[in-house]
Parts: sequence; structure tokens; C-alpha cells
Amino acid sequence: MPIRSVPLLLALLVLAPAAPAAAATESGAALVRTWCSGCHRERAPGQFERISDIRKTPEGWVMTLFRMRQVHHLALPDEVHDALVRHLADTQGLAPAEAAPGRFALERRPNVQDLDLGPELGVMCGRCHSLARVALQRRDADEWLKHMHFHMGQFPSLEYQASGRDRPWWEIASTKLPAELAALYPLATPAWRDWQARAKPELAGRWVVVGHVPGGRDFYGTAEIRRDAAGEYRAQYALTEVGGGALAGESHAIVYTGFEWRGRGTLGGHATREIYAASEDGRRLTGRWFDPEHSEEGGDFTALRADAPAEVLAVLPQALKVGTGAHVVVVGTGLAGAAAPSFGDGARAVVARREANVLEADVTVAADAAPGNRVVSAGAASGRLVVYRQIDALEVRPAYGIARVGGGRIAPVTAQFEAIGATRLPGGELVSLGPVAAEWRAEPFDEEAKRTADVDFAGRLEANGRYRPAGAGPNPKREFSGNNVGNLAIVARARDAGDALEGRGHLVVTVQRWNTPPIY
Amino acid sequence: MPSPRRRLAAALLLLALGAPALAGDLILTGAKPDKLYVIDAAKRTVLHEYRIPGANGLVGSLVPSPDGKRVYAVINRMESIVGVDLATGATVFRADLSTPTERVKDFFALTVTPDGRELIAYEVPTRLKPSEYEVEQPRFAVFRTDAGLKAQPVRVYPAQRRMHMLLMRPSGKSFYALGFELYEYDVKTGRLLGTRGIQHWEMPGHSQPDLLAFWPVTEPTGVFTSPVYAEAPQDGKPTPTTALMSLDVATGALDYRDFEPMSALIFSTVLSPDRRSAYGVYSTLTKIDVPGRKLAGRVPLDHTFYSVNVATDGREIYMGGAMCDVGFYDAATLEKKAILKLPGCADQALASLRVLAAH
Ligand code: HEC
Ligand code: HEC
Repeated sequence: MPIRSVPLLLALLVLAPAAPAAAATESGAALVRTWCSGCHRERAPGQFERISDIRKTPEGWVMTLFRMRQVHHLALPDEVHDALVRHLADTQGLAPAEAAPGRFALERRPNVQDLDLGPELGVMCGRCHSLARVALQRRDADEWLKHMHFHMGQFPSLEYQASGRDRPWWEIASTKLPAELAALYPLATPAWRDWQARAKPELAGRWVVVGHVPGGRDFYGTAEIRRDAAGEYRAQYALTEVGGGALAGESHAIVYTGFEWRGRGTLGGHATREIYAASEDGRRLTGRWFDPEHSEEGGDFTALRADAPAEVLAVLPQALKVGTGAHVVVVGTGLAGAAAPSFGDGARAVVARREANVLEADVTVAADAAPGNRVVSAGAASGRLVVYRQIDALEVRPAYGIARVGGGRIAPVTAQFEAIGATRLPGGELVSLGPVAAEWRAEPFDEEAKRTADVDFAGRLEANGRYRPAGAGPNPKREFSGNNVGNLAIVARARDAGDALEGRGHLVVTVQRWNTPPIY
Repeated sequence: MPSPRRRLAAALLLLALGAPALAGDLILTGAKPDKLYVIDAAKRTVLHEYRIPGANGLVGSLVPSPDGKRVYAVINRMESIVGVDLATGATVFRADLSTPTERVKDFFALTVTPDGRELIAYEVPTRLKPSEYEVEQPRFAVFRTDAGLKAQPVRVYPAQRRMHMLLMRPSGKSFYALGFELYEYDVKTGRLLGTRGIQHWEMPGHSQPDLLAFWPVTEPTGVFTSPVYAEAPQDGKPTPTTALMSLDVATGALDYRDFEPMSALIFSTVLSPDRRSAYGVYSTLTKIDVPGRKLAGRVPLDHTFYSVNVATDGREIYMGGAMCDVGFYDAATLEKKAILKLPGCADQALASLRVLAAH
């Protein structure tokens, strides 16, 4: 007979009378009063214990409400949930500058290095989830302390686990860390005060867009953003893939906290999620979109208001080899004009298309052109192009990647590698050429991986540098019927360089993750 | 359709690779979701399969009563302790540690006084307030074993954090508690009588050691043993090293000895009746030469086992924990003699495998 908790009983008492339809039209504070105050006492008008003492991102609030439903049995209708996330993120969110260091976690970027908060917080907090999860919240010391009580109470095995039992975890977490965390991430900050006082940018209008999908795909085009009847945003994308065809898309987005764009849509017929941030001046949207089922598959997104001051967003490709030619696309604002565009010394351009936001030209670089940076200028805007003679260095990114075997209801997690080329200028300086075409192969990372034939079992590496892991579960062909995990070196050889030039990355193919919280 | 018992017997015929020892031992093990097994070691058969009502997915840390008539277990998400009559399977003792406003877990640490009258549980409590949790100080709760199914503690006293095992001393006056260090407490008053090093051991040149054990096995010698991991100097550089910790609960003698540069993970160990060998399991079966301080043998196992024990006559090694196999190995040669599959392939998880000598 499971023990019923007082909070559960309270929830039943509090929640029974509420009518969900009416709730959605209530003001934010009224919603909190109706749905939360049974457990979170209203200590002063509009001030609720715990709830009013924390600031978080929209994803942070979603995770909290998930717990209130799952652990504390709060029966919250979806429309009230959504209205509460908006209300809480708008009134108790993070300012743009506060959210910036942890954005990679909101954007679900795969294989990025977590924040470095020093060795103690790294082990105390970073072994179960990202430190970005911590850095994306604001509380004072007593509220951080309450959260430590939650951790110990909810995960009592924490102090028995490896990296928890090597130290007095609870004593450190309850005495030393609350003040340390409050100094790093306090509730009241000038950044938040200023952001709250500001008029929030209006994002409706016409935008110029560039997108990059790791593995060799680049996009450019426009977005038309408007407000719908509910005041939410609708975007229509008209994109072109470099070296490919047209790609249309749309999305429906809510902007939280005045700048956190969260969209759901499609691109080229595939479902997308968009996690973008508007710049404080409202002229730029940056972030990442991804496949809702595979957050590791997605692309970098940048959009600039079409009427923003002249600026080059991208030159595609960003590097040209001497003695060759290429169709170059320049994307940005203010690119039209009477004067002929220039691609710099030794580069000859025949313009194929020229509009305010796109310039396309066939560019040839003389065989004797001097290697180095070039300024690309069109209209009032200027960008950068690199002219190179050869690739002198190759770096595999990410340097350390993780892929996960798949099976059952859990899909495999792929890992995408890119080969980033660089050329050495006569002065010795290394200049990046961006992603370059490469041949890929996987090798055992060490002797042990060789002995256990990880290359054969863990999955396969595709021609564009994407690693597709194998199925999960005990494999009778492996020692101790092991899982198809692996420890691999991912080796890139630049197509455009001598055989000797290779770059190496490290890939660990590991087991599934059973949960996919919005912030790892 | 043959009965499970029948199918079991048939399976055993196929699996019995050697002649069983004649010790007459009974083996106790628990399994998910609510099973307690009593096994005849010599016959390699399940004598009893008992269901523990309300076990809720966990039957862990088995502690037999000193007279061998009952076994106590941690069940129900570590929030309850039961005593089960081994002859009938009836639950004769139950303490539900949590209340509506306090969640209490026992991290597998409990022990019984030599007279069988009192049971001491280690409690890790959390106060559940309407909008927050409050971590409270862990404590020992002493129950009378005749308190029935709604047992309430008769004495409660404060304890250190992060304990994982309690071991009664034969005098019945005090018990050991393993946590960050090895503590000794007075049974009557709960006074801390002494603290000796685990994290603060005194092994020259060694790093802080790591010891975590949920298998309170002291049979057949009265000595508890466990693997301990630390970095020790080897040719001048720190090298992961496995040591054997042993604690004689009667004399209090505490000993640590390195026996190999770490080359296999070991979850639990047991000391042979002659105290010359210790056996450890995880993905291998390890034999340790105790006086010689060295590895004496190692064979791979079919899969991982968590919990090891030894026949009262020392001739066989028993192993369980994780999955549904109970293994019987020859203590001299480390050869597999038999595998007993628990009915329905019940998963033993962290349950300790306990041995009751001759019935
Ligand atoms: C049934 C009782 C109950 C209800 C109703 C409830 N909560 Fe909670 N809430 C708790 C408890 C208990 C805790 C402390 C444990 C925890 O953090 O999960 C808590 C903690 C919190 C915290 C602090 C979490 C942190 O990050 O440390 C927030 C914020 C919160 N609740 C928000 C809400 C909101 C918003 C609502 C209404 C939509 C709500 N709660 C409704 C019981 C409840
Ligand atoms: C044993 C693993 C573990 C450790 C260690 C750990 N956490 Fe967590 N933490 C979790 C889990 C699991 C959650 C998700 C809780 C939930 O919502 O159910 C979480 C959630 C959080 C959240 C988000 C909570 C919310 O409701 O918004 C913050 C902030 C956080 N942890 C901070 C910390 C800090 C600071 C430390 C170090 C002092 C730490 N954590 C150490 C497991 C851990």
C-alpha cells in the first residue's frame, strides 16, 4: 500500500473545482493562484512561495511543471500549462545576456563542450546533467539551498553513487554551494531589470536567412514573418540550397520573455523545431532548428531584417582555390547598387544575379593570385573570402563526439563530423577555410577497441562524415554478449590535399539515453 | 504444460555439471518484484518460492535471524522492512518507515541483535512539506522483532550520512556501521563508540579508497570482507589497485591488503572457512590468496553476478544477484558445477545471497 503524500491530497482538494476552459483566460497570477497556491502559499499578493523566487528559461519552466505533474500529481490541463509557461517565462525569465552562455543547451547542440564552472561544481553538479542547466536559472542562496534539499530528497542514492560518495556531497551542497551559486546566478540582476523595462522587439517583417547543416549543406533565402490573430508569429521560408533546389518551409512560433523564439514547423516537408533568440535590437534572429525526433539533426540559423543596415551574412563558399572558379552566393542586406561588386585582388566576377539581399556571381581566381583574406564588397556591405593555394591543416569537428545505439522505442543518435580546413599564409598565419570536402574512415581508437573489433560492431560512417550507430542490445557475436558500443577514431582526409593530410576526431558510441529532457 | 518445478528439474539435469557438495546449506535470495527463495544448495533445487506482499519491486539486503527461522529484508523502494517466516513464508514483521509527511529510506543497512529480539534499521529521512523537501539527519531506528506488522521504533538515535551496512557484534552490545568510515555504535544508547578509517585509512601512499557494499555477508567465518579500490604506488606511479578489506565482527580486527593492480571489477567478496582464500564476483570469479596477498585465480562468468557466498564446508562457491541465475562453482578449481535458474527467471538485482548452515 503506497503512502499517499500530503501534497497529493492537497492537489486533489485544490484542483477539483477549477474549470479548465475558464482558466486559460485568467491572468497569469490568477492562474498561479488557482493551480499552484494549494501547495505554494501566497505569502503576499501575487507572491507565491518558491515560485516567485526563481527565474528560468521557458524550457526550465516546462521541466518544473513536468515535475509538478509527474511527481506531485498536479492535474494541469495542457492549455493552462502553456499559459503558465508563458506567464512565468515572461515575468521570471532570463535576460538575453544571462541566457547566452547556456544557449547551446537550449538549442540542443550535440557534442558541445559543457560550461566550465571549476572542478568542484563540475563533479558536484555536472555528472548528472549539463552545467548549462544550472547556469540557466537564477535564485538567491536560500532558494538554491531549497533546491539542494530537493536533489537529496528526490535522489537519495546520489551520495552513494560514484563521484557522489567520494566526498560529503550533502554537506558541500548544503553549506558551501548555495552562496557560491547565488553569487554566480543571483535572482536580482541589472541585466534582468533593464530587460524587463525595455520595449520588446517586434519581429514581424521580411528577413534574409542563411542556414548551415553540418555535413555540407548550406541554405539561403528569405523569411516572411507576420503576427496571427492570437498575436503569435507565423513564418514562411523561401530558401535555396547551395548547389541544389528550392526549399519551402513554415513555422508557428511563440516568443517568450520578449526574445526567445520557439517555433514548430516544417522545412522541405520535414518537421522542425526552432530555438532562436532575437537580438536585443530586434534586427537579428540566431539559433538552431532540428528534427523533433532527432535533436542531433539540424542546422544553424541566422536571419537579418531585410531593412537592416547593409551587412554580408554569408559568402558561400567562403574559400576559393587559386586557378579555379566557382559560383559564389553572397547573402545579406544592402547588396544592390550601381558600383560593380568586388571579390578582391586576383578574383574576376561575372554577376549572374543581383538584388538587395542576394548576389550571385561566377568568380575565377587567377593562378598567381596571392593567398589571403579578401574583402567582398557589394553595395554598402562587405564580407570576407579566403583565397588559398593549398590546405595545410585539417581539423575534425567535433573533436569528441558521442553517438548512441538505437533499438526499441529509442532511435539511434547519429554523430555528424566535419572536416575544417585551414591554409597557412606566407606570414605563417593559419586561416580557416570552413568545412572542406573529405574522405572519411573509422578506426579503433586504441588497442582495446581493436581487440574487441569496435569498428565492425558499432555502426558505419557515411560518405558525408555522419556516423550511424548499430542496434542496441546484447550481441552474441561480442565478448560477454556485449552491446554494440565502440571507441573509435574518426579520420578525415581532405580531397583537395595531399594524401598525408589527415584530421582525427574521437567518437564514443555508447548506450541509449532513456529520457530526453528539454535541457540536458 | 509441465509445472515450473518440473521444468526447473529438467533444466537442472542439463546444467548440473558436477557432483554437489554435501554441506546441507540453505541459500536465501530475493528477486523482483516480490520474491523470496529458499534453495537447497546440495540438491540445487528451490525449496520455497515465497511472495512478499507489498514488496513493490524490491527484495534486498537479506538478514537472517540468529536462530535461522526468519529472514529480514528491505522492500518497497527501501521504505519498508519485513521479517518472513522461513518455514511458512508468512510476513511476521513489518515496519513501514515512511509517513505521509516524511519519506524514509533504508539504504540496505539493517542488523539484528544476537538474541533476535531487536532489529536496527538505518533511516534516511526527508520531510515532505507542501512546497519543499527538507533533508533530515539520518538515524538508527530500533524495533522489537515481535512488534508484528505495524512495528514502530522503540528507540531512535542520530546517525552519520551515507551508511550502507550494519553488522552486529556477537556480544550484542554494539554494532558496526559502514559509511564514509567504519563506525561502532552502542545498541542500547546509540552512542558512537569509535570511528576507524575507510576514507581515512592509513595505507602509505594510497589515495582515498572507494568502498561500497550492500551485501552484509559474514558467514561462515564471522568476518565481513569487501573489495576496496584506491590508487597505490607501483613503480613510483599511482596505479589503480584492488585491496581486500576484512573486519572480524567478533574481535574487531580490521585489515586492508592490496592483492592486485586493478584488472577486474569485483562487487562483493566472501572469506573461506579456513580464512585462507577470499572469493569475489562480478563479470569474473576471483580467488584471492589472503595470507599471500595475491590473486590466486580468475575465471570469466557467463554474465555479471553481484553477490557471492561460500558453502559452510568451503567446497563450493555460490553466487547470485543480477538476473535469475544462482551459480555453483568449485572452490578449488573455480569450475562451474551448476546453474540454477530461478522460476520465471526472476531478477535478483541487489539482493544479497545468504547461506544458512545445515538444517
Ligand atoms: C501538490 C502540491 C504542489 C502543487 C499543486 C504545485 N507544486 Fe510546485 N512544488 C511542490 C513541492 C512538494 C515542491 C518541492 C519539491 C520539488 O522541487 O519538486 C515544489 C517545487 C516547486 C518549485 C521549485 C522547484 C525548483 O526548481 O527548485 C517551483 C518553481 C514550483 N514548484 C512551481 C509550481 C507551479 C508553477 C505550480 C502550479 C502550476 C506548482 N508548483 C504546483 C508541490 C506542488
Ligand atoms: C545525481 C544526479 C544529480 C546531481 C549530482 C545533480 N543534479 Fe541537478 N538535477 C538532477 C535531475 C535528475 C534533475 C531533474 C529533476 C526533475 O525535474 O525531475 C535535476 C535538475 C536540476 C535543475 C533544474 C530544476 C528545475 O526544476 O528547474 C537544476 C537547476 C539543478 N538540477 C542544479 C543542480 C546543481 C546546482 C547541482 C550540484 C550542486 C546538481 N543539480 C547536481 C540530477 C542531479
